[in-house]
Amino acid sequence: MSNIMTPSGLAKPSECLCHIEPGDLSPLPAPYEDFNQVTIPPLNPDKVKHLETSLDDTIAIGIPKPANKEEEEALVLRFLTGLKKLFEKENNWTFLQPLMLSLEHCAKCQTCSNACPVFEMSGRKDIHRPMFRAEVLRRIYNKYLKRGGKITAKFTGDIDLNWTTIARLAELSYRCTLCRRCATVCPIGVDNGLINHEIRKLFSQETGIAPKEIHDKGTVQHLRVGSSTGMNPLAAKDSIEFIQEEMKEITGYKVEIPWDMEGAEILLLHNAGEMLAWPENIGAFAIIFQAAGLSWTLSSEAAGYDAVNYGLWYDDVQFSRVAVKHADIARRLKVKKIVMGECGHAHKALTVIADRLLTGELNVPRESALVTLEEIVLRGKLQFDPRKNDFPVTLHDPCNVVRAMGIVEPQRRILRKIAPRFREMTPHGVENYCCGGGSGFAIMSGYNFSQWRNLVSSRKKFLQILSAFEGEPREVPKYVCAPCSNCKGAIRDIINYYHAEERSGLYYGGLVELIVNAMAGMKKPIIRFGDEPSWAS
Amino acid sequence: MGFYILSYLCIFVFILATASLLYRQLTLPVHVRWELYPIQHERGARAAYGGSYLEELNWWEKKQEKSLFNEFRYMLPEILFLRGLWKENRMLWWVSFPFHFGLYLMIATFGLLLLHALVILRSDDPAASSGIVQSLLDGLIVITGWTGLILGSIGGLGLLYRRMTDPELHNYSSVSDYFNLLFFLLFFLSGLVSLVGDPLLEGAKGYAFGLMTGGLPLNGYAPGQSLSGGAAIVSVSLLAAYIPLTHMSHMFMKYFLYHNVKWDDAPNRRGGRIEAAVMENLKLKPTWQAKHIETDGRKSWSELASSSPKEMK
Repeated sequence: MSNIMTPSGLAKPSECLCHIEPGDLSPLPAPYEDFNQVTIPPLNPDKVKHLETSLDDTIAIGIPKPANKEEEEALVLRFLTGLKKLFEKENNWTFLQPLMLSLEHCAKCQTCSNACPVFEMSGRKDIHRPMFRAEVLRRIYNKYLKRGGKITAKFTGDIDLNWTTIARLAELSYRCTLCRRCATVCPIGVDNGLINHEIRKLFSQETGIAPKEIHDKGTVQHLRVGSSTGMNPLAAKDSIEFIQEEMKEITGYKVEIPWDMEGAEILLLHNAGEMLAWPENIGAFAIIFQAAGLSWTLSSEAAGYDAVNYGLWYDDVQFSRVAVKHADIARRLKVKKIVMGECGHAHKALTVIADRLLTGELNVPRESALVTLEEIVLRGKLQFDPRKNDFPVTLHDPCNVVRAMGIVEPQRRILRKIAPRFREMTPHGVENYCCGGGSGFAIMSGYNFSQWRNLVSSRKKFLQILSAFEGEPREVPKYVCAPCSNCKGAIRDIINYYHAEERSGLYYGGLVELIVNAMAGMKKPIIRFGDEPSWAS
Repeated sequence: MGFYILSYLCIFVFILATASLLYRQLTLPVHVRWELYPIQHERGARAAYGGSYLEELNWWEKKQEKSLFNEFRYMLPEILFLRGLWKENRMLWWVSFPFHFGLYLMIATFGLLLLHALVILRSDDPAASSGIVQSLLDGLIVITGWTGLILGSIGGLGLLYRRMTDPELHNYSSVSDYFNLLFFLLFFLSGLVSLVGDPLLEGAKGYAFGLMTGGLPLNGYAPGQSLSGGAAIVSVSLLAAYIPLTHMSHMFMKYFLYHNVKWDDAPNRRGGRIEAAVMENLKLKPTWQAKHIETDGRKSWSELASSSPKEMK
């Protein structure tokens, strides 16, 4: 199948516009050559017979096929109504100026394409070019919403608008991780990641189309139950009690995790997914904060124990609702600041994006835990024995923390102090590559989407990790430090998918676990490599 | 006189279109932050590695300090030499740089020509031989004019060739992309051809003088004496009017892309200008139609943000 696909091709009839053949994907080195011929397993025809599947080999949303002509036309009409709203300040003051600037000034130089890990790893498939979906939206806007557009389209770029174009565009907006690496290299400053974000918004806010993992099970559940994990406040409290006991058992350190302490200095917001998947991360935070003598608390109020805000990826209204809840909880607890735990998108959501949403008393100061931790580790509040972390460590930079917030060095200064065998990935810092799980991908696993993620969107990160540990013997355990829940999820999945624990000795975890692991006076290590403790107690 | 009328009209369109673009940008509502690091007005090492004030403990207690020097140090080579393209897309830089630099030199030449006309107008006898300033301007005009047209022609031809032959560019190009390049090439090449018969740009000086004086001739010059000269005047005039109507306005709109989006990291402080603007925005009433939004156009953003949707699917 030809790789060549122009933006107008999105409207063309086809059963599968972009299929990945064996050998198309960027090659992996030894001992992973057996994955080089692996492709995405086909969708189960019975499960998807009523769904739109003609974009590529996977589906993220699963849009039902229209039952009749009326349904087809209704979606087209609704899409155009939504598109118009993207350019109205009443509906989109949040991103109006950035959207207009990016949509109107692209020179189509393709500089962005080379920066995109999904495009590169997919075998340079056209539909994964950052500007592809932007150009589709631009053409639709110019042709169908601008005066005289149907005539000028022959001059400025044509595209047909039908149900299929729209359904494919919706799917395509979930093939970009919103890492915005493309925007950093654009000579003009055009941000195709932003345009993709706006496409997602249009679909969610006007047509109600969004992946169930980030809407139904995400923001809706978050607002209704208290957490996107489905945990209600009682369950969250139970989890924390369990974590306290676990910490005592694993590390020998007795920790008391404070709840709802009014007037505490810090409200610590964790991604609630940590409670279920990586409880040691929550425990490690508690050990450090307690040992450093900080005044801090968690909140047991619905939404207050889950820092996530999936609205960031697809819906401004849902985003605002979650952000206001977080801020209001902090306001009522009368804390001096909110400290964001190891969750990248939650960092950006509440600290940066919500900054121009929260006014008056809701504007409670927000700080990254990486900064708080740096103060503790580097100012001598705790004593460390770095020899306990005597294994190779590399650092993954979460896009939302680094490229979107400029928090680059605190985590590195910590690692240089506590991890003697720390080494950088190439490239790193603001030029990092996404874990492949960004923008919701890490929690999306319906149909065969997780295989697509492991094979395509996370592939570059996997290559980077392997390269960072090049030359280290296979049997030596290696630690990928990923201070972000979503990134950790994606890295966990690639390690499992490629059997990288067995083949390369790869393990992963957060930053706080490394800090606790190196704390002087701890009786037992918090980090284990399989069944083996990272140091002898 | 027809040439002058065309030029005046085109300059008028240029000013009007540019003013309209700028006015629109300046009156758009304050948007949420969407910055991208590195931000070049950061101070010290942070500008280089991409750090921000958010790396500081209790950052809100400190005054945000910006370095204009760092910003200029970054922007100057970016604007003049297309540093970003050099780093990220070297193949394209080899043709894009001469094109853009040629264009800058032509803008500089136009400025020098106007200055030249002003000097003549201020002297007692416009026909008299030149003083030192005029001689200097004469020399600069020749240098910038020739270099600009040569570079612009090379770059324009190179860009056209790349766009026609490189599938990455070709597959995404519309008729207008080729038209734009051909338009520029018409100017660069006709200008270059006219210089062969007028290497000291006397015709251009005469035309600039005429523009400043409503058509007075300088040393017997009249526009349109040569076909190439006439084509250069017509094409450059039309280009001036055309650029702000197209994506090529990125030449100056890049300012907003950088300063109002990519580098806009200004925090919202209580009681500040941004907070006041945000509060105004929160009064706006959206009309999004998805069920979970739960609005009929009567609820403000503020009301929606503090509500929980009943719709759970």
